Amino acid sequence: MLPELLQGTDAGGFLIIQDSAGYCGRHVLKSFIHAALNREEAVHVLGFEVSEEELRDGLKGSHTQRLHFHNAFTDPLGWSDHPAFTVHRFTLEELTHLVKQTSQPKPAILVIDSLSWILRHVSPSAVCQTLQQLKKGGAVRAIIGLLHADMHQRGTVGSVCHLATSVITVAPGIKGDEGVAKITKRSKSGKVMQDEEIFNIKEDLTVVVQSKPSHIGSKQPDTDEQETDPTANLTFNLRLSDTEREAKGKLALPFVFSKEKKTALLHSGPGSGRILYEPDANDDYDQEDPDDDLDV
Amino acid sequence: MYTELNSILSTTPDSFTQGEFILLSDRKSDASFLIHHFLSFYLRARCKVCFLGLVQSFSHYNAVSQRLGISLIQAKEKGQLIFLEGLTESLSVLIPQVTSTGNEAMDFLRDPSVGLRSLYDFVRSSVTSSGGGEEGAEEWGPPVLLVDDLSALLSLGVSAGAVLDFSHYCQATVCSQLQGNMVMLVRCDGEEEEDDWDDGGSELLLKGLTHQCSLTLHVQGLPTGYCRDIHGQVEVCWRRRQGDGQNTQKKLFQYKVHDKGASFFARGTSSAVL
Repeated sequence: MLPELLQGTDAGGFLIIQDSAGYCGRHVLKSFIHAALNREEAVHVLGFEVSEEELRDGLKGSHTQRLHFHNAFTDPLGWSDHPAFTVHRFTLEELTHLVKQTSQPKPAILVIDSLSWILRHVSPSAVCQTLQQLKKGGAVRAIIGLLHADMHQRGTVGSVCHLATSVITVAPGIKGDEGVAKITKRSKSGKVMQDEEIFNIKEDLTVVVQSKPSHIGSKQPDTDEQETDPTANLTFNLRLSDTEREAKGKLALPFVFSKEKKTALLHSGPGSGRILYEPDANDDYDQEDPDDDLDV
Repeated sequence: MYTELNSILSTTPDSFTQGEFILLSDRKSDASFLIHHFLSFYLRARCKVCFLGLVQSFSHYNAVSQRLGISLIQAKEKGQLIFLEGLTESLSVLIPQVTSTGNEAMDFLRDPSVGLRSLYDFVRSSVTSSGGGEEGAEEWGPPVLLVDDLSALLSLGVSAGAVLDFSHYCQATVCSQLQGNMVMLVRCDGEEEEDDWDDGGSELLLKGLTHQCSLTLHVQGLPTGYCRDIHGQVEVCWRRRQGDGQNTQKKLFQYKVHDKGASFFARGTSSAVL
């Protein structure tokens, strides 16, 4: 499903890439930007977390002029005199104005790097409101956002992801440069599709899907790990024929307390030994009194 | 500086990657020996160093650096090292005197909720001040910011979000704009828990800084307990690699701190064992 999402999001789509400290989701974000530029779409990037050079690094080609980077990295809080873009300008009006500055025939794709930065300074409800208005309005065709899931409470992450039409959660894979992506896609009809894929991002920012992972916790079983037959290749015969198997099944084991033995013990048959006991004076030995057997 | 650590990180004082943000962290351990390494490394590399020493006095760092072959007093006199001694500066904030230096860097102590903007202004003025105009002023290399340590700011009442903003602005100025390097130490106490938001924010701070940085060195004790010959383990994690598409690469080493340095070795190859 990952390649399908890379092909293009529907109008009004909102894609979230969730990552954690263990695996940086920015490479996946760059792959999406690269795919959008290849489709000759205009991309506006709100860059809070990395500088323009670092984001453009790896994005080669002639269509990178369609990438418009709005610098919110150098001064996002307005500590200097002339901030380029501050986090408090994350509103519908400002963003619409920003995107419309570059005159393009069709609406552009807005990429937000990252939503976590905004959520640290603007209340989640305001952020969700702005995102929803952007989705509904016609200024941008689609929104792609990067979210660091381990930096917010689960409720905040859940609220923002609820607005999204697709969520890709990336985590480190088993091998060094692989990643595992858990994808949830909601289509307009309401159908939800989920998938899990192992992927690898190449140097030219194309995503290669390796395979589906096996169940959680186990590695792929090797093909030569079949059950080996222990009775093969011996100098003596350990196998049983059918008659031998039957006889084995019928054999009564010596110390098993079966029903027949129980009845034999309880009802002693005729002719079996009986023990008659008459108490003898010598047997009456009281251990407490050692002189008890003296006949005095 | 520790030569084995240099070979692990593939750096020398003559050639090191610029624009890097190195995060030192520890959990129930003490990673301050790495701060001494980076301090002596960058001074030897003839960089202009701005050191925010918030938890120890200047004489402490000077004594340790002398054992590593660097004199901080000389570096300070030559103008290579700008040292903010947090302990004495904070006294002048808390006990206002006539002869106070007028340095506003520690002003956040008056009202921690204001944030660390004045501390950032101090850092920016230190790294951008050029020695031009003075006779005999030496040309130093790219600027380097060292902070020991950020968790002290948390315990002084600054919120984790404000510390993350401070480190963001420092990274934008020192690493991105001036192509210098930044080394920050953050310390964690308890176990790593998933949803613990009440611990004063040190876990949030560590995660946020991990997202921002390009190289982390995480120091922990040995999982098997105390050992006389191995003081702990260091996990080195390279995060952002420019251009080659590789995401993260992790390596684990064990270390022992000596009188005049520290030695690093692969797991199980300590000289006491072999």
